[in-house]
Amino acid sequence: MEELARDILVRAAQGDIQAFEEVYKSTSSFVYNVAYRVVNNREDALEVAQEVFITVHNKLKEFRFESSFKTWVYRITANAAINYAKKASRSKAVPFEESFGEVAIEADAHQLIEQQEQSHLVNKLLGELNEDQRACVVLREIQGLSYEEIAKILNINLNTVRSRLKRAREKLMSLKKSVYEKL
Amino acid sequence: MKNCEQYRELIFTDYIDGQLDAKMVAMVEDHLMDCSDCRLIFKELKTSAAPIKTVELQEVPSELWSRIKENIEEQPQEQNLLEEMLENLKGWLAFPKMVPVLASFLVMFLAGSVTLNTMYIQQAQAKDQGEYLVSVLTPDTSTSPEAQLGSPIESYFL
Repeated sequence: MEELARDILVRAAQGDIQAFEEVYKSTSSFVYNVAYRVVNNREDALEVAQEVFITVHNKLKEFRFESSFKTWVYRITANAAINYAKKASRSKAVPFEESFGEVAIEADAHQLIEQQEQSHLVNKLLGELNEDQRACVVLREIQGLSYEEIAKILNINLNTVRSRLKRAREKLMSLKKSVYEKL
Repeated sequence: MKNCEQYRELIFTDYIDGQLDAKMVAMVEDHLMDCSDCRLIFKELKTSAAPIKTVELQEVPSELWSRIKENIEEQPQEQNLLEEMLENLKGWLAFPKMVPVLASFLVMFLAGSVTLNTMYIQQAQAKDQGEYLVSVLTPDTSTSPEAQLGSPIESYFL
């Protein structure tokens, strides 16, 4: 995601809905995809993404441009998604995604099936990690963020990023075989 | 010289994520050439991470923006007005020239309050003192024998 022009953010903070739509367009893919992979469920991802954008809208007036806007949105997203997933895992009410979500319509059938299978496998694998490990893996593997960016977003130090990734990857290695067998 | 466990720390994190400098990369790769166990683990690690690394991003459902827009438009106007008033007040107070003016008003208000309060206390004290002197100097008719007899009939028999 590219950094947005300052005047767009200022106009959005003043209540200009068109400027806020620009903010939405440039961040929605990150917000929705992180939410989707952390909460592992389309409906809940929509709810988390909605909560993120309402928070961004209401708090934009307080944003002082002392840090990166992108990092600020990423942090709100990661916190909202982790908190939602933790709450859901405590209540045990949310099943992992069984449908395959939305994929490109123009993809041919074979590619579509492969994508669906892969998405399903990823959901299964991520579902076996705890919420903190899952967020680290999603930010690193799917969003391609650096260790420094992950540390800033999750408000943890670099060594904690390393240890969460290492434990997550060890677990994924041990799980992959059994998850494949269940598919 | 590092042992396998130390190399695996690097293999599971900085090495696979391309975070090491050239010298460290060469060290890890030398070790991988020599150690079949670590080589096997690295191969499994790459295989297990592959599906997550290459998964397609989900398209954002079109309904998301309409839900957000609806929610923003439904936010109560009163709340917005209150927030605006608070912001204006903050801005007004933050205006540097207003500080001495407000301070002068506050001092004048406090001085006026103290003066009025002192006058009231003095008046109340003077009233209490006057009533006391009057009560001391005036004979108490309630304790005179006539007053204790109660009625003319009682007075006659006594």
